[in-house]
Amino acid sequence: MRRYLPAVAALFVFTSLAVAQPPMALKQEADRVAVIARVKPTVVAVFARGGQGGGTGVLISDDGYALTNFHVVAPTGPTMQCGLADGVLYDGVLVGWDKIGDVALIKLLPKKQGQKFPFSQMGNSDLVREGDWSIAMGNPFLLATDFTPTVTFGLVSGVHRYQPPAGSGLLEYTDCIQIDTSINPGNSGGPLFNLKGEVIGINGRGSFDKRGRINSGVGYAISINQIKNFMGHLRAGLDSDHASLGALVRTEAEGFGIGKTNVTTILDEADAARRGLQVDDQIVSFADRLISSDNHYKNVVGIFPRGWRVPLVYSRGDTRKEILVRLMGAQRKEIPDTTKPKVDPKPPKGLPGKKGPQGPAAKFYVARAGFANYYFNKLEKENLLAAFKKNGDFSTVGGDWKLEGKIRLLKANFPSDFVAEIKDIKVGASEKPTVILKIGAFADTLDIFPGDKEVEISKRRMPKGSGGFMPALYVWKHFLTKGEVGLSECIRGGTEPFYPPPTDNSVPKEWAKQRVDTEVITSTMGNYKTKWFYAKTDQKLLGFELRMQEYNEDPCEVYFSDYRAVSGRQLPHRMQVYYEGVHYGTFTITSYNLK
Amino acid sequence: MTRIFTYTCKFALACCVIGIAATNVAAQAPVTGVVGDVNKRMVKLFGIGGFKNLPSYGSGILVSAKGHILTVNNHILNTPGILVHLYDGRQYQAKVLVREPELDVALLKIDEEINFLPHFTFEGAATKPLAENGDWILAFSNQFKIALRDEPMSVQRGVIMSVADLRGRRGVFDAPYAGEAYFLDVIACNPGAAGGVLTNRKGELLGVLGRELKSTSTNTWVNYAVPIQATVEVQRLDVKAGKTVTNKESIVTFVQKALVGKYEATVKAKREDKGAYHGITLVVNAVSSTPPYVEELAQGSPAALAGLQPDDLILYVDGESVPTIKNFREAIKAYEPGREVTIQFQRGNQLISAKMKLTAQPKAPVSK
Repeated sequence: MRRYLPAVAALFVFTSLAVAQPPMALKQEADRVAVIARVKPTVVAVFARGGQGGGTGVLISDDGYALTNFHVVAPTGPTMQCGLADGVLYDGVLVGWDKIGDVALIKLLPKKQGQKFPFSQMGNSDLVREGDWSIAMGNPFLLATDFTPTVTFGLVSGVHRYQPPAGSGLLEYTDCIQIDTSINPGNSGGPLFNLKGEVIGINGRGSFDKRGRINSGVGYAISINQIKNFMGHLRAGLDSDHASLGALVRTEAEGFGIGKTNVTTILDEADAARRGLQVDDQIVSFADRLISSDNHYKNVVGIFPRGWRVPLVYSRGDTRKEILVRLMGAQRKEIPDTTKPKVDPKPPKGLPGKKGPQGPAAKFYVARAGFANYYFNKLEKENLLAAFKKNGDFSTVGGDWKLEGKIRLLKANFPSDFVAEIKDIKVGASEKPTVILKIGAFADTLDIFPGDKEVEISKRRMPKGSGGFMPALYVWKHFLTKGEVGLSECIRGGTEPFYPPPTDNSVPKEWAKQRVDTEVITSTMGNYKTKWFYAKTDQKLLGFELRMQEYNEDPCEVYFSDYRAVSGRQLPHRMQVYYEGVHYGTFTITSYNLK
Repeated sequence: MTRIFTYTCKFALACCVIGIAATNVAAQAPVTGVVGDVNKRMVKLFGIGGFKNLPSYGSGILVSAKGHILTVNNHILNTPGILVHLYDGRQYQAKVLVREPELDVALLKIDEEINFLPHFTFEGAATKPLAENGDWILAFSNQFKIALRDEPMSVQRGVIMSVADLRGRRGVFDAPYAGEAYFLDVIACNPGAAGGVLTNRKGELLGVLGRELKSTSTNTWVNYAVPIQATVEVQRLDVKAGKTVTNKESIVTFVQKALVGKYEATVKAKREDKGAYHGITLVVNAVSSTPPYVEELAQGSPAALAGLQPDDLILYVDGESVPTIKNFREAIKAYEPGREVTIQFQRGNQLISAKMKLTAQPKAPVSK
């Protein structure tokens, strides 16, 4: 028996060593428990009204906005019920969705005015690495009838993963986070947290294969950075579309080396084609990320909304060039089918097989084609226009405008004087919107809304080479002074990057460094389609783009800077005009005369 | 006194286990560095497959700077050009050098003269003790073909649930490897994961991930890895002596010998797996739906002892209907020697139930 004694002694020594270590372990455990306790109240159990089916969500603002999956709210319809961890059930309404990205934004209605909801911070998913820890919270199998979320803990198995669309081109997981953290049906739409309790993704899907639709050790979360790109669109109630470059690529492994991703096909109407990208060009980087495989390419393209501009670097032979590309849509046809009769844009209330709005949240829902919920589009547009008003009240200066200053045209050696008059000329009982632009000794007069539209479109791109700065001036003045009156459409867009060129009009080395985040409104007046860019920080109008056709056309780009007050109104004293990627000229304004 | 002592011992052990569990909690430190390091020593493999639920992709482990790859000995290798994607996106083709079916592994070599690849080494690995129950592990593989080219492998973490013999039996579940294995609590053995890496949290190689394995009787999946130092018996033909000899090999000895071209081919031993013995000879299985009529019974056999007679028609085995000879054989195959099964059979117009205790197969056939 004695021979066992040393072994026992050794065991005890080992045990005491093991016990000596836990302080760190206990601290980590305590930290983790604290983080879970902190974020738990922000996790939402989402149910269809009546409790049939549902998923999870996470609150991201104190006024009740919560993220979830598109595939969670698609069956619930525009109104749903949302349980929080304290057991209180709230009414919820759909705000916006991104069908391809499988994301939806919903809003919980407060029980009383001014009620603040607990919410989670969004992290930076680009900092997540494989091997990091992650915490998933949600309502797997809809177990929690008291809405207390289930917590699972695990490893990030991979980042920047690509998972192809699941059915009819929707639910494509690009640049997503792969986890071994257990997620099951019901976890959909729920948050994936890092150990700081920041939301790094929205759990939504897994690889199942033969084992049935339960956790198989491989789950995927939509990266929060992708969702941030769409946040403006979601808040604006849009049925947002993802981007495509308008080109197909293939990665070749020449000589079994590192993959080169080359363009195999490119659409004529793609902006990338107009910017010079051709078949066989190698795509080096896209939105500042290097491309060396098809998955990389799909990952990078897949995280952007339609219409965003991103820098793209391509190489052809020995030359390498950076271009700024406007992205096309992925979901809807770019070219409208004119052969089909126009249908009423209002869809019937309560689509077949889907529930219409019900309950107290129904008054926050307005159905309209192209929108997840038009109510929020109107709300966000009004909020933005109201915020813009701090730049001055333009409603009292709706008369004739006269701008004077200097312009140096692209090929000119010296600047010339210019005078621009924006006025409505009285012709009998009606008024004829007109812009007169005099550069040096040469004056052009443009009738903004001539009778025969088809013939006149190309002639209205005046002055020549500007893409339409003269109509742009009129539309700008009208929008500032009259607002939505006289517009056939005025819609709140999402958040978009805007790239003001350097004030010396040089071509920047990296377009990414010029990027400013803006809030967008699109408007239509006659056949002038305008996209207005407001600075996200102070709602200053940084510029706009004017098109005369819907597609396959470069807009006239106007960049505003050097804002100064003119009798209490903030006005730009520098307007840089670009068309087809070329600097037309810069108007320096020395005097404004507003009536 | 002895009893008290035993208890003390058990208590100490219990403390010890708790201690380990506590340090496992401490394993919350990120493992990102280890993950990147292991990923560089792994390859994605693409070969034949894509039919019958068999994937055309797999995972492999670099074991030399020259591009020797250790992987599972499965169907994707049955093609002359196996495509290899390195961690940095470079692509090569590889050929199979040698296989060891008993270990269920194969060694491949990249078809190009290179000498710079990061890889796992096996020095001293053979004498390292096996990992233990409760040890914390990481599993790396290209399951579900999630990664292509330079995209990193999937990493999962878990613990070793047990270190035990993997005993697959035909009829219940047929395991391609029979020997000591690590059983994992993490769902690591997904399609394409076989041939992946099992490491400890320092990134040291512990084993090679096994294939997808499902018990057909319980419909459950098991996740396992073959420990690199676990030995199995292999058969080799000794041409001079004109007989087969038995040797012991492990993944470590396989790789070490195969790297220098000295791993001698083995013959796959026919696994004696006839199931348990009952002693019934059925009528000739003439058509696919021949019912299981008893033709003969071996003297003193379990069936004879249970009271069966020639011309009896077997209807049920442990309550499971066996309308054909094939059904009967499949049903009985699932039982081990020593098990008592209930046989229900028809004799004339009587339904008789009897208990039959199965035994091991007799050495020589008792009767024809």
